[in-house]
Amino acid sequence: MAGAAPAQAAVADAASARPAATRRERQPWPAIVGFLLPAFTVYTAFTAYPVVRTLWNSVHSVLPRNEKFVGLANYAALAGDELFWRSVKNTFVWACVSPLTEVSIAMLLALALYAKIPGRRFFRIAWFTPVLMSYVVVGIIWVWIYNYDWGAANAILRALGLARFAQAWIGDPAIALPSLILITTWMWTGFNMVVLLAALHSLPSEVIEAAELDNCGWAAKLWHVVIPMVLPTLLNLVVLSFIGKMKIFDLVWITTKGGPLWSTETVSTYTYKRAFEWSTFDLGYPSTIAAVWFVFVLAAVLALTWAFRRRDRLEY
Amino acid sequence: MISRAFLLVVVVAYTAFAAGPFLWVATMSLRTTSEIALDHYAWPGTLHWEKFPQAWFNSNYSVYFENSLLVVAASVVVLTVVGAMAAHCFARYRFRTNRLLYFVIFSAIIFPPQITIIALFQILVQYGLYNSLVGLSLVYIAVQLPLTVYILESFFARIPADLFDAARIDGYSEWQIFWKVSLPIAMPAIATTVILNTILLWNEFLYAVVLITDEAKRTLPLGIQRFMGDQLEDVGMIATGLMIAIVPVVVMYVFFSEKLIQGMTAGAVK
Amino acid sequence: MATVTLAGLSKRYPGSDLLAVDGVDLHVDHGEFMVLLGPSGCGKSTTLRMVAGLETISEGTLSIDGRQVNDVPAKDRDIAMVFQSYALYPHMSVFDNLGFGLRRRSVKTAEIRRRVNEVAATLGLAELLSRKPHALSGGQRQRVALGRAIVRDPKVFLFDEPLSNLDAALRVGMRGELIKLHHRLGATMIYVTHDQVEAMTMGDRICIMNGGRVAQIGAPLDVYRDPADTFVAAFLGSPPTNLMNGRLNDRSLAIGDTTIPLSRDGAPADVIFAIRPEDIRIQREGSHATGEVVAVEPLGAETIVRFRLPGVASDVLVRGPRTVAARVGEMAPLAFDLASAHLFDPRTTRRIP
Repeated sequence: MAGAAPAQAAVADAASARPAATRRERQPWPAIVGFLLPAFTVYTAFTAYPVVRTLWNSVHSVLPRNEKFVGLANYAALAGDELFWRSVKNTFVWACVSPLTEVSIAMLLALALYAKIPGRRFFRIAWFTPVLMSYVVVGIIWVWIYNYDWGAANAILRALGLARFAQAWIGDPAIALPSLILITTWMWTGFNMVVLLAALHSLPSEVIEAAELDNCGWAAKLWHVVIPMVLPTLLNLVVLSFIGKMKIFDLVWITTKGGPLWSTETVSTYTYKRAFEWSTFDLGYPSTIAAVWFVFVLAAVLALTWAFRRRDRLEY
Repeated sequence: MISRAFLLVVVVAYTAFAAGPFLWVATMSLRTTSEIALDHYAWPGTLHWEKFPQAWFNSNYSVYFENSLLVVAASVVVLTVVGAMAAHCFARYRFRTNRLLYFVIFSAIIFPPQITIIALFQILVQYGLYNSLVGLSLVYIAVQLPLTVYILESFFARIPADLFDAARIDGYSEWQIFWKVSLPIAMPAIATTVILNTILLWNEFLYAVVLITDEAKRTLPLGIQRFMGDQLEDVGMIATGLMIAIVPVVVMYVFFSEKLIQGMTAGAVK
Repeated sequence: MATVTLAGLSKRYPGSDLLAVDGVDLHVDHGEFMVLLGPSGCGKSTTLRMVAGLETISEGTLSIDGRQVNDVPAKDRDIAMVFQSYALYPHMSVFDNLGFGLRRRSVKTAEIRRRVNEVAATLGLAELLSRKPHALSGGQRQRVALGRAIVRDPKVFLFDEPLSNLDAALRVGMRGELIKLHHRLGATMIYVTHDQVEAMTMGDRICIMNGGRVAQIGAPLDVYRDPADTFVAAFLGSPPTNLMNGRLNDRSLAIGDTTIPLSRDGAPADVIFAIRPEDIRIQREGSHATGEVVAVEPLGAETIVRFRLPGVASDVLVRGPRTVAARVGEMAPLAFDLASAHLFDPRTTRRIP
């Protein structure tokens, strides 16, 4: 949902869009400080300081009224914590698979609307609706859909005579995670579609016409011209989706709470449980989990951004 | 050329997939649980509108709704003003640390919530802001600040410098320039961030579930979860409760669909 | 090279009663450079796009080399087009841009390389083959767009205002390049522009369009000297033709308060008198009228003088030599070269022979 444009883009942006230096060299410092102070106060108090505090916690055992420095003991314990690594694997799988489903289906739908089928304004609005709903609402609805006895998923299968495929969708450790991935795909495909449709509409029509004259049918146009030209947007959506799934909590909490048998445990649910549900009361260890995960996420984002970097800007 | 008919079929099928669940909940919200138990997919026979006031008054729905309203309204207002001030400053003034400071705030967008939430819990408890709407609002402002500044900064940067020069020549102070020049012109972008933040914070769950445990202070998402826990198998009641939660969003969507879509997809098109 | 024949070609957009292109009849010969000239919205681009196959034809027939191609898809018409915005594939190198059409037509790789290198050499693009479009200047992009068309060796070249996006100096240079290119290839070319200088200098023939219809077709100088209607008369030439309302009597023409002796057959009628600024001289000998100098515009190589003729609504422009001596407010004698002047019917706007 949030824009995670690479830092390079922000800096490049700065060079082009900033106003030219005014003739006056002195900048109105009181004004600048005045404008930035409230934002940075909030930021420091509720974002920056908590990050530091969490890192601090991670090298302590933080019990109520008793904080003790433990060095890297938490980190050592984390390395051997099977549940943690299980949750890392689950989250990672989710973050890698989801973008693929969400973006490819969205691309097909966007192309369908781009091909000017009737009623496209309605479809665009309808498909965007799941994005607006709270994960809580979505979670409850899908728990019902996945209900073994009367849920829509099995009901449809039974109605089609495929009763032998009816599952305990979120009750079966083997397919619980894919079932949840289906839910997020359901939610976010509409979002990706809307963005891709906008990108398609911004393509210069003359280039597509040139392709027409260059003996391209619709498939060739798609492969050689359209997709390469919307590639930056596609990749951007993949990164956004990836980041979103790395953070996921709400949906899991409402549907499976990490079960059955930790098959849907994500790092965020595990952190929450260690901090607020298990009766250890130690906030140090979950802080360690948070710190390590923070590094994982940053590293992953940097890696993706570097892999997808566009050395040439596609100017057209 | 793939025939239009085939595409239309695919499109209609997907629409059923996307909208079907909502339709189902809507129909169930107007049926009693016993009716539902007989057939989960039938159209409502009699429309039990009375379930809505029932859900509202018999549970603490009104409390949840009010809490959410207060928190979201307060957060969005403060967030917009504070964010706009910072964005305006980043966009229009040149100073050496400009890009660095912008990056500091902007980079927080990718922070996973876990890195701050445990410490936030500690901080709020320490300062008596735990289980308080004020505490939650402050956290919400911090959480949405990076995205708000990101969206507004690029918009402010596009305002032609001539307008500011003219205002300065006319004797406006820097604050007046912000208030009377930047803000009015940036109204479309501000409207976008307001709508976006409202939706995101209205649906926010994780921070709320950690920082609020007091029943009287629950926000709507928490309330729905509690509602579900309380009602357990009362599918009909839960459905009605869900509809109450969905309706404000749908109303906003009906009136502002274009702005909403633009706001939520801002920055994603490259 | 090929012939292109448009017969009664029309275009109506769905949901509109207006004809964007209305019954265009045009025949382009082998190797001819035909310019479609006209103001914005006159239908020239739409006509070109119909020839290309990028717009459907509502009425009339289009034939290339005698074969009707109304329903033939664009890619099968063996035509190449140079777009106003160049329409280069931004993600492909110059080499790939040039060779894409050939690759899509299953030409052998070695052959593609040969042809692309050849065209790149003639257009001065040899050093740029590995660059992407965003790293090229406007002029370079334009040449790549040109090269893409040349490399296909099509029957017909279509140009849609290719020089409009270039700055003035570049435009003049490219004009010369295109003329040379035409001579070298000897190909049939249809060129759309709103710039009359391009039309006059480049075209073998010009087709002037206005409001979706053809106003006149002919060689540049013929159209310039003998315009078919007031629109053509006013459109060609800078500064534009002087158009004055007058009345043709038995043996004279009355323009405002001035009377010019003129013999014409026919009944007395209202006419529009058209004469180009270069066909009026400021001299006493053989003068037909006296006008008051309103403005003097020295342009360096020549001078434009504005006159007020008594009883005539708009200013009369006269092209004079560098050294013309005229001061604002003075009265000066004007001699009209009546052999070069024309009369137009005010109702039909067409020329009275």
